[in-house]
Amino acid sequence: MKKNNILIASVLAFSLNSCVVVKEYEKVNINDPDMVLSEKKCDRNLITAHSYREAAVGANGGKTGGGCGCN
Amino acid sequence: MKQILTYVFTLVCISVNAQIQKDTIQTYKKRVLETVEVDFLSSYYTQEGDNASVSGGIGTEALTDATGTIIVAIPLNDDDILTIDAGVSAYSSASSSNVGPFDGQQAADPFVASSGASSSDVWSSVSVGFAHSSDDRNKLWSVNTSFASEYDYFSVGFGGSYTRLFNEKNTELSLNVSVFLDTWTAIYPTELRPFYGGNGINNTLFVNNAVTGNANYNPQFTPFNNVQRNSYAFGINLSQILHKNIQGSLSLDLVRQDGLLSTPFQRVYFKDIADSFIENFHLADAIEQLPNERFKVAIGGRLNWYINQNITVRTFYRYYFDDWGINSNTVSIELPLKLSDKFTFYPSFRFYNQSSADYFSPYNEALSTDDYYTSDYDLSNYSANQIGFGCSYTDIFTKAHLWKFGLKAIDLKFYKYDRNTTFGFNIITAGVKFVMDN
Repeated sequence: MKKNNILIASVLAFSLNSCVVVKEYEKVNINDPDMVLSEKKCDRNLITAHSYREAAVGANGGKTGGGCGCN
Repeated sequence: MKQILTYVFTLVCISVNAQIQKDTIQTYKKRVLETVEVDFLSSYYTQEGDNASVSGGIGTEALTDATGTIIVAIPLNDDDILTIDAGVSAYSSASSSNVGPFDGQQAADPFVASSGASSSDVWSSVSVGFAHSSDDRNKLWSVNTSFASEYDYFSVGFGGSYTRLFNEKNTELSLNVSVFLDTWTAIYPTELRPFYGGNGINNTLFVNNAVTGNANYNPQFTPFNNVQRNSYAFGINLSQILHKNIQGSLSLDLVRQDGLLSTPFQRVYFKDIADSFIENFHLADAIEQLPNERFKVAIGGRLNWYINQNITVRTFYRYYFDDWGINSNTVSIELPLKLSDKFTFYPSFRFYNQSSADYFSPYNEALSTDDYYTSDYDLSNYSANQIGFGCSYTDIFTKAHLWKFGLKAIDLKFYKYDRNTTFGFNIITAGVKFVMDN
């Protein structure tokens, strides 16, 4: 039991240091415009059309409600 | 045991302190935005369907819309950006023209557009935002305000966000809030208007046009007292670089709306009330009645993978639910294919499904004894597929110029969306990006 506690505590402690750290000079691919974690600006009106015609909104950077007489 | 816990606690403190030290090391400060950037966005949208909500779930949903938007981002100094966003959207709709279908030019019919004033409208909007980044670029806050207007709707919005980067900018946590304080100008179906403070069935509409079916037409109609609609949203977003070729994010949006959440000109027909018609048009038994509160939750995630210099995979999933009984799933995948250093091709696929709202009834199926009812098929149970194709031209050296502005990118995309009903839309979107010469 003691050994298990030590093991769990150690894993927890070292896990704070095990988050991936990609250095700035290694981010060439991450910084590619197609890797952006959002929709492209030219798709804004498509996202708006979805928010008008579908009940679901949000979690995609688009309208979440308000600003129009839509659902 | 106490010694072990002390040892672990010390390890944890050292680790956290090391992370903070890494993030506070002074590095060269690059301007957040080098020069003025201008984006022109436009789209052309067309839709078709047979379940128009204006005519209670039956009728043409034909609509076209053209939108133009300009977004200008201005660097005020090394740390601050001012963004101005203005757009106009003009639509023409056979469906909304049937708010008043009795134009006398042809037989009133939910599948035929009338020439009424509500057949077209223009929506315009403007928003202004300010963003500030800290010297180490690990903290960013922003505020914004917006105004939007169309014939029967006016909106004022404001919001803000705070973003913190950790772990040598491998981790990003954002919080954002927004508030919209909107006002309807309530417009009701023309056949209902005489039944509140008017002469009811003795109105010239019913005198000059024969009422067939149930001649004792007597709809259930009271105008809305409160025409305000308020929306409050709170969002959290966590992004993480997982590998030098992979990054992902998780988002949570919570939205509360209150006020007039019904659409005043959307008709409802009751199956326990005999039907009345003028020509081919089913006269409304009532207008849509929905609760004056709604709470929405959306949880989404993205995972992007840079496979090689030619292929990237972009994926998205969202689960949504609200207290009107709607649950939905959204899944999409896009595969940017770099054909050359200037041209990229964008095939994409999206799947969406939703369950029906508790208050939804198909055409002529609602009950007059219910508190809430709607026949808006956007709140019904359906699934939808969407395919898309697009192309992008990028010139990082901005060789082509328009006055002092260099052309950086042109995007053109086409999407086709089809529900498992008769509804579908097509949309062409375009974007052009210019950057100002230094």
